[in-house]
Amino acid sequence: MILTVTPNPALDKFYWLATLPETLAPTEEGILIRAEKSLTSAGGKGINVSVFLAAHGVETVAMGFLAGHSGQIILRDLLARGVSANFVWIEGENRTNVALIVRGREYHPIHITEEGPWVTPEAVEIFLRKYERMLRRASFVVLAGHLAPGLGPDFYGELARRARAQGVKVVVHTGGEALLRTFPERPFLVKPDVREALRLGVLPVRTKEEILVAGKRAIQEGVELCLISHHLTGDVLISADGVWEFEARVPLSTFRNFVGADDALVGGILVGLAQGKDLLESVRYGMAAAVASAEVEEKFCLDKDRILAEMERVEVRRGGP
Amino acid sequence: MKVRDFLRRDLTSVDRDTPLGQVIRLLEQSGHASLPVVDEEGRVIGVVSERDIIRALLPGYMDLLRSASFLPSLNQMAKKLREIAHLPVERFMTREVVACKPEDTDLHVADLMLRKGLKQIPVVDAAGRLVGVVRRIDLLSHL
Repeated sequence: MILTVTPNPALDKFYWLATLPETLAPTEEGILIRAEKSLTSAGGKGINVSVFLAAHGVETVAMGFLAGHSGQIILRDLLARGVSANFVWIEGENRTNVALIVRGREYHPIHITEEGPWVTPEAVEIFLRKYERMLRRASFVVLAGHLAPGLGPDFYGELARRARAQGVKVVVHTGGEALLRTFPERPFLVKPDVREALRLGVLPVRTKEEILVAGKRAIQEGVELCLISHHLTGDVLISADGVWEFEARVPLSTFRNFVGADDALVGGILVGLAQGKDLLESVRYGMAAAVASAEVEEKFCLDKDRILAEMERVEVRRGGP
Repeated sequence: MKVRDFLRRDLTSVDRDTPLGQVIRLLEQSGHASLPVVDEEGRVIGVVSERDIIRALLPGYMDLLRSASFLPSLNQMAKKLREIAHLPVERFMTREVVACKPEDTDLHVADLMLRKGLKQIPVVDAAGRLVGVVRRIDLLSHL
């Protein structure tokens, strides 16, 4: 079983617009934007990974904190998609994250994100008891996404510590200090989230050369595998054994919705490993899943045949010095 | 049809030492009418329902009267709740757990619900650990 932790789940709302108003300057009538289409789904990085895993028949349990009306919708969506859910309920309301996707410029969506409900120490205590219990059934745990308000920067570090003590492999898919605090616990795989700041710790990751320096530093600090995106269709995998570059030969014009693509990448890697593929083939499957997901309007492409077809376009080569 | 095909994979539960006040809050937040109570290994050791809690708040003679019309107000229940809110849920839960397995049939679960008058049944694996629940509506919506 693969356990995922999403401390700050969200209700993801996508709106597709034919066009944006030419100006957002105030007018007497206000600004009305009509959506051509909308979609709503449970979101948050760990939840997204769980949804992807469940669609591939991999047993998964999603954990985190749910609250309010949006929490009920998130739970209902997860259960309908075959994900087992073991959340702690708290006061407040889960986030609603809005993405505005304008036709013709799908690769530049506009995001509006909320902060999320406050997690109390009492709720953390309840969570940790549940978490310890679920770790006994898990082979991997995925710690993913932003921390919720009230959680300290060591939250993921503590979860990684407990997982390591029980022999459960840890995958970390987040950014900032929360990610760095897991390094001493020797996580199996880290996929830094660099959407808000193109850096890993103090090191920039804007170019392939910078990515290699930052990735190797992560390996020195205890990480087993570090996977960093260097542009929309390229990823670099760094380990103590070497560096591999993955490239998807896909024109950007085919992309429809990027939200969740990097979660499909992590989910795809785990599906590959769960199916007994070797590491490089698993990462190729993950990249193919990410590309296929970016090419559909829904958050994920869950069509396995289409993902397998995309694999043909994902190249891997030994890279770096 | 097997239970695994329509169970609700919701593992919301409480520990045996969870204070009753916290259980009430969780029932309200999660929208559940009852919750499985689990031990350290996640095995179901009881079920606590709104009915169990209400019974704990009413005077013992209410079972004999079979009506709440003799109560002057709910003040006594509120006072009693304040007195017992800190007590562990295991003191109030139903210990005779009626559970089913993922490989059981829908007919078996329907029979259990009818005979025992239950709205929800926990689903457990071979080790007795919670893997989900089946509600009456889950059965009905899959007919």
